[in-house]
Amino acid sequence: MVSIIALVLLGLLWGGVYLLMAEGLNLIYGVMKVVNLAHGDLIVLGGLLAYTLFAHVGLTPITALLPVALVLFALGAAVQWGILERIPLGGAEGELRTLLATFGLSYVVSNTSFLLWGGQFQSIPFLQGALRLGPLAIPEGLLACSLAAFAAALLVHFWLHRTIAGKALRATAESPLGAASCGLEIRRIRIIAFALGAAMAGGAGALVIALVPFQISSGGDLTVQSFTLIALGGLGNYLGAWIAAEILGLAEVLSQYYLGPDIASATIYLLFIAVLLFRPQGLLGRLGRI
Amino acid sequence: MAKNGCARTMGRRAAGMATLAAMWLALGAAPAARAAEDGPIRIGCSITETGPYSPPAVFELQGYRLAAEEINQAGGVLGRKVEIVNYDDQGNPSTAVQLYQKLIYSDRVDLLLSPYETDLMSAVAPLVTRAKKVMPSLGANVDAFQGQFPYLVQAITQTPRYMGPAIDLAASRGYKTIALLIQNTQFPQQLARGIEAEATAKGMRVVFKESFPPTTTDFSALVLKAAETHPDVIVGATYLADSEGIVRAAKAQNINARMFAFSIGPVEPEFGRGLGDAANGVFGTTLYFPTLHTAGNAEFVAGFQAKFGRAPDYHAAVAYGSLKVLAEAVRKVGSLDQDKIRDALLATSVDTVAGHFQLSPTGLQIGYTSYVLQWQNGRQALVWPADQASAAPELPHGAW
Repeated sequence: MVSIIALVLLGLLWGGVYLLMAEGLNLIYGVMKVVNLAHGDLIVLGGLLAYTLFAHVGLTPITALLPVALVLFALGAAVQWGILERIPLGGAEGELRTLLATFGLSYVVSNTSFLLWGGQFQSIPFLQGALRLGPLAIPEGLLACSLAAFAAALLVHFWLHRTIAGKALRATAESPLGAASCGLEIRRIRIIAFALGAAMAGGAGALVIALVPFQISSGGDLTVQSFTLIALGGLGNYLGAWIAAEILGLAEVLSQYYLGPDIASATIYLLFIAVLLFRPQGLLGRLGRI
Repeated sequence: MAKNGCARTMGRRAAGMATLAAMWLALGAAPAARAAEDGPIRIGCSITETGPYSPPAVFELQGYRLAAEEINQAGGVLGRKVEIVNYDDQGNPSTAVQLYQKLIYSDRVDLLLSPYETDLMSAVAPLVTRAKKVMPSLGANVDAFQGQFPYLVQAITQTPRYMGPAIDLAASRGYKTIALLIQNTQFPQQLARGIEAEATAKGMRVVFKESFPPTTTDFSALVLKAAETHPDVIVGATYLADSEGIVRAAKAQNINARMFAFSIGPVEPEFGRGLGDAANGVFGTTLYFPTLHTAGNAEFVAGFQAKFGRAPDYHAAVAYGSLKVLAEAVRKVGSLDQDKIRDALLATSVDTVAGHFQLSPTGLQIGYTSYVLQWQNGRQALVWPADQASAAPELPHGAW
């Protein structure tokens, strides 16, 4: 009995970790319709920056969160301003061009990381203990990541729906032409959005590297995992992504326990295929949404 | 029309012949001048000098370099100096094949050394065998040494033996049961079979066995399930990231055992950096340790430190040992006859810095074993076997 409760709890907490890593991508894709294939590499970069701040300055991942997020924000802004803004959008070709650009970016980011940090797995010893709750042991690190994911989701939701800048961003996503004709500076808005998405990826990396060791080539898997998650939830839908993350966390932990780890790693994709077959717009996605 | 097509084919074929002829000249003519009898003995290899897989391979190259330097200081081999000819394979097996092709047929090196690690070694094995070149190989898997590649001899501990001494240590403390967690890739799978055999031989029982894919990052449920069998020892046939993941999952869920031991993982310095205090008490295996009391080890460590500014690791040690053994075989034979060198290697029984080097008739390494280390107060200490230990093993593992 304790075991099933422990498993459900673990699943929900890992769901929080997956959500944390996918939120930045959800913002960039959901709002801007840019598939950022460098997303996972930005997570790894954030994690490795946090590792350096821990190893050489002694900052814990929580205190490193802000500086890491700021660095990634600047990097994201530079990428959007210097590369993506200069790529002619529109039509399938435009999408392909941004796809290729972010694919190239993922190579640049991961190889630069290799030059700086080498190829070995790195991790940070932080919040490794268990919170005892009667017979239950709740992993502290997982709990911290879940809380951070929840806080980040709330902040972004608040920003998108309650502030002028956020509303302007959503307007730009719905119709760039309409937004521009209302006098919105859509270029600046897109730069902020991409930078924010990169900052969220970096911040997630800073926390998750204390749970999962990162290596420069870890980025690809994280991109795929995050993308599957937001597609599952309904691209750009925050509540949907959250539900999808929790379902994934539960499915992964329960199947690892009952069916074995080999099958567990396939569950995310089996779920994804099922959703594509029966609900192609995602769990909470709207059909025909642009 | 038909005639025209025929002419075109003929033309293309002629061009192809011309290219082939040019290549033949390029391959054949140039080295003929270089292969002078009184020049240095040229020893070729490819090494992963760049890319994500380079750190261990660079240790290997430094091991080769130090061995070559020492051999030359002692007067060389057959009255000639030795010279290492190496290229960067970037960790890519097909690049390694091209480079060994170049080493054998274009550079016409006299002897070959092995790339690191198994994937690259296996990729060049057929080529090296066709060319009938002896190669002391740094690939731990046993498959390449069953007779189909007669010119390859294994110069590193064979995979099934990687964790033997760790199981021996557990048995010496009276531990009876093992939970075995295995990464679902070739090396850990083969290693796990060795663990099971060793456990049976020592009267221990594997009460839990489960494999996981290499992409696994969350080990919580797996470790929870393993703990339900209440094993004395939790053993991982793992690499670095998964060994850390298993330790993290155990600590975060307050899952205890008398002993935690992993194949590859604790041997890496990153294991201690990444886990901090949680690393303390965890056991790992290594093929070499700087404090070993093996033949010539103190000189090797001092020489390596002086030349490269860092302590040698096991890749450096087995590479250094393999070139030393190869040079000794050439000395014994008195020529560069590859068949005779192979036979001399198969008959070799010698102590190197990594342990006792001895081969089976098919070239399988049956001398080298492994050593057990434990993280103690944030450092690695060699704890088993007892005659090589620099510290006593701390057992049982305390509660997290």
